[in-house]
Amino acid sequence: MAHQLAHRAGRTIRAPSTATLVALQSAISSLTISSPNPATLQRRNASHQAQGRANGPKDRAGKRLGAKKTGGEYVIPGNILYRQRGTLWFPGDGCFMGRDHTIHAKVPGYVKFYRDPSFPTRKYIGVVFERNNVLPQPPNAVRKRLLGMLAYRMPESSNSSNTSEPSALPSPPTEAPSKAVEVSTQPPTYPQTATVKNTRENGEVITSQLQLRSGSYQWRQANYDIGRTALQSERALKVKPYDPNDRFLAWRKRNARRARAAQKRALGRGGKGAAKGKAKGRGKKR
Amino acid sequence: MTMALEGACRPMARCVQRPGLKRINLQIRTFTTSNASRQEVTDITSTSSPPLPANPFRSPESSAAVVHKPQSERRLIAQHGIYPIGSRRRRAAIASTPSIPFHQLPYQCFQEARKVLQQDRVEKVAEIAEQRRRMEKVQTSLAQSQSTGDEPSVKQLERRLRDMRQHLEELKILADINDPLVRKKFEDGLGDMNKPIYRHLADKKWRSYKRKVLVQRITQMNVVPDILPHIDPTIAVSLSFGRKDIPHGGLVLSTLSEDAPSLNIQPFDRGERLVTIAVINPDVPNVAKDGFGYRCHFLASNISISPTQTRVDLASLDPESQVILPWLPAFAQKGLDYQRMGVFVLQQGSISEEETSTSTTEEQSSPANLPVQEILSAARYSKRENFVLRSFVDKYSLHPVGVDLFRTQWDEGTAGVMRRAGIPGWDVEFKRKRIYPLPYRRLKEERYR
Repeated sequence: MAHQLAHRAGRTIRAPSTATLVALQSAISSLTISSPNPATLQRRNASHQAQGRANGPKDRAGKRLGAKKTGGEYVIPGNILYRQRGTLWFPGDGCFMGRDHTIHAKVPGYVKFYRDPSFPTRKYIGVVFERNNVLPQPPNAVRKRLLGMLAYRMPESSNSSNTSEPSALPSPPTEAPSKAVEVSTQPPTYPQTATVKNTRENGEVITSQLQLRSGSYQWRQANYDIGRTALQSERALKVKPYDPNDRFLAWRKRNARRARAAQKRALGRGGKGAAKGKAKGRGKKR
Repeated sequence: MTMALEGACRPMARCVQRPGLKRINLQIRTFTTSNASRQEVTDITSTSSPPLPANPFRSPESSAAVVHKPQSERRLIAQHGIYPIGSRRRRAAIASTPSIPFHQLPYQCFQEARKVLQQDRVEKVAEIAEQRRRMEKVQTSLAQSQSTGDEPSVKQLERRLRDMRQHLEELKILADINDPLVRKKFEDGLGDMNKPIYRHLADKKWRSYKRKVLVQRITQMNVVPDILPHIDPTIAVSLSFGRKDIPHGGLVLSTLSEDAPSLNIQPFDRGERLVTIAVINPDVPNVAKDGFGYRCHFLASNISISPTQTRVDLASLDPESQVILPWLPAFAQKGLDYQRMGVFVLQQGSISEEETSTSTTEEQSSPANLPVQEILSAARYSKRENFVLRSFVDKYSLHPVGVDLFRTQWDEGTAGVMRRAGIPGWDVEFKRKRIYPLPYRRLKEERYR
């Protein structure tokens, strides 16, 4: 409204100049009674801690990183070739990388440090079988691989599934194979079961069928066989079946059980405490 | 245009179900059935017949198009041996929508879009006719220059004819690619692989996923540098032992791989061709060499395949004219790692990138037959052990076009399989050779400070 009026009057109102404003402000501040506000005082403090452990101790022990084997050196599987933080080097042919990026040898051979043109930003460590071999291999060439294994004949086992005389058990798996054998052309018969006869003190002859189960390495009786033998034994046949109406029998059984429990309790508690208690008692007696 | 039509396809797909559904009783749907393609023209007309009422008691044949609950799908397969058609979502849409033919659908925009499509197809068909006429002209001038013996112009014309043929094939695909009925047929597995459009769609589908998986398996398992230097699969190959389909690179039980597998070899370009099939194991242990060798488990030549003739049973090939080395069961001895079995489909004769013309069909009608008896009598490739496929491919100028892979491992049945096949070494176990540690060397004394 005032502007309109001024305009109508033909005059223009100008904003006061900066010099005028500064002079006005200084005049007002000289009139104020209170001290100047510290927040407006613009003091610049140190923003970086200079003393103490602020910048971190830089004299810690070295981590012993770096190459552990040189190019052309002979290594065996598992040897550490390079220790690093992150992947400065990548595992090439015949190498693998451990959990902390350590490069290990996977095959026996000679160490090669190389670059692969198919991945130009990477540096590789590889192991070759011959000292004069070159890495990387051409991309379409057959990979060089080592078998690293020897052939052994599996433990021979005789077949005696339906023979009447007691047969010797097949030889157990040999603990250490002596030497590599050549492959035979005649397939021997494959063992399934073996019969074993044992004689007890009372002259009783027990026949049991032993089987080599799949997934198992030992000859053993089947569980149902063991159970059947136990049920058909003399002692098992002597046992009278329990009659619940025979209360006198029940009373005797109960008392016998209670006596057993009392006897057990008198012997002391089981476990660690019992062992301690026993030792104490013994010491006192002595 | 194809992209814009994706959205429009769904209402179309809903309404294209055929009333009465005189479906062919196909047990397993493949890409190929030729009699369905003959009905293609009648399909469009038959949609105008009265729509199928929503009948809850439909026949099992007709319910194959509409079952959309897992339980009812299973019942259909188990009780009637009929497999449901298309996707479940599509079947649910069909079941919940009354079938109205295209031209009666009450969507104006849809009808306008149909007109555009029909117009486009008419244009494409005209272009095809025009292209054919042009090609005839070029062919007559080619025959003339051949008779006069003008060598440079013959070459130029041949090149031109090849390009024109390529363009013609593109036009054939473009004419049909936006047809919703074609799409539906393809999705139903009723596409006729004699037609370029269905071959194109099948190829696209294969390349979108299955081929990628295959290429990944053969590169990650190093089949490619170990058996052959390079392969660019253009033919889909899938393997099955009996009724069990094996995924690319799958581990197969030794008892399962005792009998020869059957292959499904699906080419995506026109014409018959002869192929050689080889199954190679590159992981045969060689203790004397302390390395690995090759073994050929199967080799057969002169097997004719085409887009519609894809099934090859390796056990039922002709032993006189085709089989060079019959099937040997896959096995890996105890203690060894798994062994890869690479299945290779090698095309005999020349491979022509472009589609066939009159001249190339003549070439293809007499493709290079491999002399099976000659190979058998010579010692080099009639032995299984140390069979080098690289040299075989070079010698008989074969082109690897398809590949598949499965793996085998020592398992409970391997010993029995080997004994029945008369293979020695079932009682041999492999154990690691001890590698002795390096001698300990005391470091120089100054290193200890």
